[in-house]
Amino acid sequence: MKDLYKLDLRVLTVREMSAPRRVTWMHIVTFAFATAISYVLGVVSSLIFPVLGAPGVSALYVAAAIYVPLGVWMGAWGALAGYVSCFFLGLYPSGYSVIQSLIWSWADFIEAIVPAAIFRLAKVDPDFTAKRPWAAKLLPLFISMGTALLFIGIVVQVLWGAKYGEPFVTFYVYSVYIGTALALIGIVLGLIAGHAKTWIAHILGIIGASVLSGLWGAGSLTYFNLPPPLPAELFWPVFVGWVLGDLVVLSVIATALLVALTPVFKRTGLYVKGWWA
Amino acid sequence: MPTILRELTGIEAASTRYMGLHVATKILIPLFLSISILFTKDPLAAISLIVISALTCKLAGIPLSAMKKYVVVIGSMTSFIALSFVLFAHLPGRVFYEATLLRIEAEKGVFEWKILVTDTALSYAATFIARIFAMVLTAILLLGTVTDRDFVWGLRSVGLPFGACVAASLFFRGIQLFVSDFMTIREAMSARGVDFERTSLARRFLLYANALIPLLSLMITRSYEMSLALEARGIAPSTRAKAVYHRFAFRRRDLGITLTYLAVMMAFILWWLLW
Repeated sequence: MKDLYKLDLRVLTVREMSAPRRVTWMHIVTFAFATAISYVLGVVSSLIFPVLGAPGVSALYVAAAIYVPLGVWMGAWGALAGYVSCFFLGLYPSGYSVIQSLIWSWADFIEAIVPAAIFRLAKVDPDFTAKRPWAAKLLPLFISMGTALLFIGIVVQVLWGAKYGEPFVTFYVYSVYIGTALALIGIVLGLIAGHAKTWIAHILGIIGASVLSGLWGAGSLTYFNLPPPLPAELFWPVFVGWVLGDLVVLSVIATALLVALTPVFKRTGLYVKGWWA
Repeated sequence: MPTILRELTGIEAASTRYMGLHVATKILIPLFLSISILFTKDPLAAISLIVISALTCKLAGIPLSAMKKYVVVIGSMTSFIALSFVLFAHLPGRVFYEATLLRIEAEKGVFEWKILVTDTALSYAATFIARIFAMVLTAILLLGTVTDRDFVWGLRSVGLPFGACVAASLFFRGIQLFVSDFMTIREAMSARGVDFERTSLARRFLLYANALIPLLSLMITRSYEMSLALEARGIAPSTRAKAVYHRFAFRRRDLGITLTYLAVMMAFILWWLLW
């Protein structure tokens, strides 16, 4: 049975190589359903784990965990699903106006396009088969904790360390050293967990998506929206809440989803090799 | 015909006259009002916009009790805005209250974190809070008046291919499907002894994470079946409709209403420029 399954995959790959790729109903329908599911999850997570005062921003934004796998599996369709679902999430339950929502939604587009771009530009064929499952299980813990410490250290240094010096600089130095060490352990775990290229691309995707979407999301809520619904002074609390929440959710749930469902996506032909097809 | 996201918001306009307007008019009204929010720089302008938005909702037959859906949003945002102007932004002005919360003797000076309430901070907070109400009202107006059919017909009438129209339609139907799937999975978990009300936040997070795998598996199955069905009918995603069963007419009434709200927006821009 296992051999038969492998044979099927091989036949599909040969077909894929010979036939020109084009957008099919499968892509469009999956995009529509993925958007709907992301929206429902976005509503659920922003109601259950809200960041006080920043509606639509969730401390544990479960929907973000879907955007990363969707970006990996479906390329630009996944990013589009992120944008559209976030636009409607802006209207309800966040209560942002149409224009504010149109601008804010790019945050979730970024959330999916970053991993999609990393996998496609580095030409990595995602293979999340875990040769050492214990390493795959420990990886999210080290990556999220390491990056979070590193991130907190940098924020403390930028806000207070540069201006006031000690004791903020010491805090920054320790958190950066410990955070880097933990993140490096996470990267080593990624290298031994299975297909090294896939896991490194995934780690970079998690960190890139969290920080870049956090920058846009928190920025559009406090600095550059039309008008920003929150005062500019709230940029740092919202940004830190966004990035830390994303790091936890992406490393824990997105990893589990990618491991469990990547073979299914490839087998059913829903997997998008390029950007659109 | 259900309005967009009705399954979750429960908001629907009762006025048949308003619902009979052209879809472009129904989208442009909240759009002009939301642009006006940008030009409200003082509490008086923001309150005027709240009144106009509330009146428009009333005319559309949306009960203002729909705001109840946003109570948590409004409550948390207003308190957060007030706290931010008192705790993070120290705006100069007449001081009403001042207290130091944290004081650290640092290497290059003293780091102080304090509560500072000034008249300028209160005025800024009032403007931001009033804007939140206007924002929510425009969102309610859009969600309560635009239906799924408006949306899909709108896309077809501007000549978009079936691919885009089917995607829009499936998205709105998909919400209903996945909400019911989510509830089914939640009930299955409850039947196995999970008490969502009493579980800790961390455990609840893991429970919802576990629910994602069956939810996504259902999505894959549905997508597969639906796309096969569409292909079996011989419709290509790039096909454009040659015939439409309903044609939207942009009447004089639509033009008049659109121009009125355009004028409202221009008035707010002038207010912003002149004062």
